Amino acid sequence: MISLPDYNAMNDADFRQTVRSFVEENYPDIPRHALSRLHWEEVKPWYLILSEHGWICPTWPRENGGMGLNAGKHLILIEEFERYGCARVNDIGPVMLGPLLLKYGTEAQKAYFLPNILSGDHIWAQGYSEPGAGSDLAAVRCEAVLDGGEWVINGQKTWTTLGMDANWIFILVRTDKTVKKQAGISFLLVPMDAPGVTIRNILNLELEAEFCEVFFDDVRVPADHILGEVNQGWTAAKALLGHERVFIGAPRLSASAMSRLKRIARRAGVWEDPVFRDRYVALQCDVMDLTDLFETYVDKLRGGEDIGADVAMLKIFQSELYQRISDLMMEVAEEESGLRLPPEADRQLHAAATYLSARPTTIFGGSTEVMRNVLAKAVLDLPS
Amino acid sequence: MSGAMNEDWQENARMIVDSARAVVPADGNLDRIRKARFHGSGFDRDVMRQAAELGWLLMRVKEDSGGLGLGMRETCALMELLGGGLVPEPVLSSIMAASLLQEALPEAALAGEAVIVTAWQDRTGAQDWRGGSAGGRLLGQKLNVPGAAGADLFAVITGDGIAVVPRDANGLTVAGEETLDGGRTGLLTFNGVEVDFLPCDRVERVLQDARLAHSAYLLGLSERALAITLDYLRVRKQFDRPIGSFQSLQHRATEMKIRLELARAAIYATARRFDTGADDRTCSRDAARCKLRAADLAMLVAREAVQMHGAMGITDEADIGLYVRKAMTEANLFGGPRQQRATLAALLDQEDAA
Repeated sequence: MISLPDYNAMNDADFRQTVRSFVEENYPDIPRHALSRLHWEEVKPWYLILSEHGWICPTWPRENGGMGLNAGKHLILIEEFERYGCARVNDIGPVMLGPLLLKYGTEAQKAYFLPNILSGDHIWAQGYSEPGAGSDLAAVRCEAVLDGGEWVINGQKTWTTLGMDANWIFILVRTDKTVKKQAGISFLLVPMDAPGVTIRNILNLELEAEFCEVFFDDVRVPADHILGEVNQGWTAAKALLGHERVFIGAPRLSASAMSRLKRIARRAGVWEDPVFRDRYVALQCDVMDLTDLFETYVDKLRGGEDIGADVAMLKIFQSELYQRISDLMMEVAEEESGLRLPPEADRQLHAAATYLSARPTTIFGGSTEVMRNVLAKAVLDLPS
Repeated sequence: MSGAMNEDWQENARMIVDSARAVVPADGNLDRIRKARFHGSGFDRDVMRQAAELGWLLMRVKEDSGGLGLGMRETCALMELLGGGLVPEPVLSSIMAASLLQEALPEAALAGEAVIVTAWQDRTGAQDWRGGSAGGRLLGQKLNVPGAAGADLFAVITGDGIAVVPRDANGLTVAGEETLDGGRTGLLTFNGVEVDFLPCDRVERVLQDARLAHSAYLLGLSERALAITLDYLRVRKQFDRPIGSFQSLQHRATEMKIRLELARAAIYATARRFDTGADDRTCSRDAARCKLRAADLAMLVAREAVQMHGAMGITDEADIGLYVRKAMTEANLFGGPRQQRATLAALLDQEDAA
């Protein structure tokens, strides 16, 4: 295993410089500042470089092959990656499954799966949503029954992001239909090449196959391919762990959209227009105020404080703000808003690309409406 | 309270807020506020004396000028509390006067024997303050002077400097109109008032401070109005359920909460920047966006609070109405949203040039 220094002991400025240099020296010849996700074949060189240097799992403990970064240092890493425009890798393994394995996995599971995530041999997909279980995730119907020491899985998952790139998938399955819906769910680990697994790509509004449906037809996996106890899967599924919830509400998507809006406005000749400016500065204030609110959460993380349900405010405002910026972009782009390909082949000038990329942000990872339900009850103490 | 304060602003703020409990009841009782409406000057001189005795006028006076040398974070914490209690006294206007005058603050004002307020504004709907003087005398008008009806001294800001003018000075007339919240706003007319001008190069900065502090007042007002509304949503029943169980109202309530927390974050982050030496452009920009955020917040909470209170919301009897009227009266002071956006738009050119 690679021996890394204790980055948490570095001061922030030095660490930032370390990350900056690392990216500049190591980022491969693949797209930067992409608005949509790259597929595995494109992004693989970056994954493998990160892997080779021990940087693919920033938050895992160092003894498990991670960088062991605390929240503050992790934020710096994210900021520097974003600044350079690094493509997002297939990070379900490093970000989602890894921490869950560390928390709930058996020693054998950790010993087998963690190194495969680190090396990039296992690319994971997340199988949560189903056609009838989206926001109401606990309504999952995909079913698993034990038969001769094996789980037999039947059902369907959908909206599986980059599922076509994955060779493993973790899924929430119904293992008890007789109890309250949250109490009958288990968390299974399934190889995508198991007989009976088929996938069907779904084209999104950008006409890209970013997610897919996954079908399970008498798929058999060993009984030990379960994470945590039988019927305890809901607990693990809900534990989007720790500080990741803060970063979902980071202002960077909106901030970078503002710089594109400015370019589109200049191109359209309205940058000096007072009517446009009145709206532009209102959005600019929203971004700055969001940044101040985001920083209060980052300060909490740095101080080791727990993050409560109120952090959903960040995600709601960030995602809606991103969409409002994209609305103004579309208006300002005038007839060019309808172009399928970017004007002058410059994606920064493509209002439609931002508009479309802003759509899922209020839907995935807890829809705005579900987030508001949670806030109303958990934070505002409003009755059911 | 005097001498060097604690280095820790949160501890200072706690002490200030504790001291303010003498003026703002912890139980949210608004009897005093309700009774003070539409009588005399619209505020209580005894409360202004208390404010002076508690040292509030000295908050923004430097320690080597005999003050407390406190920062904007402490000032915002105080103003937030006063806003929650709908305190009608011109505390901020007095703090501004002291901040401008420093060691020249008149002894009677410092002792709480005389009420001093700041007169700065040349015209409604603009942030101009350089008018009001000519030929070494005060000449012209100052508008929208808070507490003018009950003040004894005016700190008048002009392009020639600051003048301290007693209410009974020759050539000064004080007029005013009632405001929605039950107070009075003042119009000072100067007909060649003989004064000494004190030079002051900090006027813009004091106005930025005031814009920020007033944003904190609106934050406190909005926070309390939201709390009252949430209480109502929890207890008011229709269709055999508390109305707060209805999703349409829950979602609108969460929007108010989000806007409130954005305002709080922006105001205290800005206050920290003010206290730790931000440049002029940052101060202009951040004071403007805090005021924009706070004014929009107060008006959002006001209209949603009325709607969520149903018919109770349009009675004078319900306390929420006091918050609505105060929001309507105060939201546009130190520049309403349109003016703040104009300020920010003008700053875009500077950002482009930078």
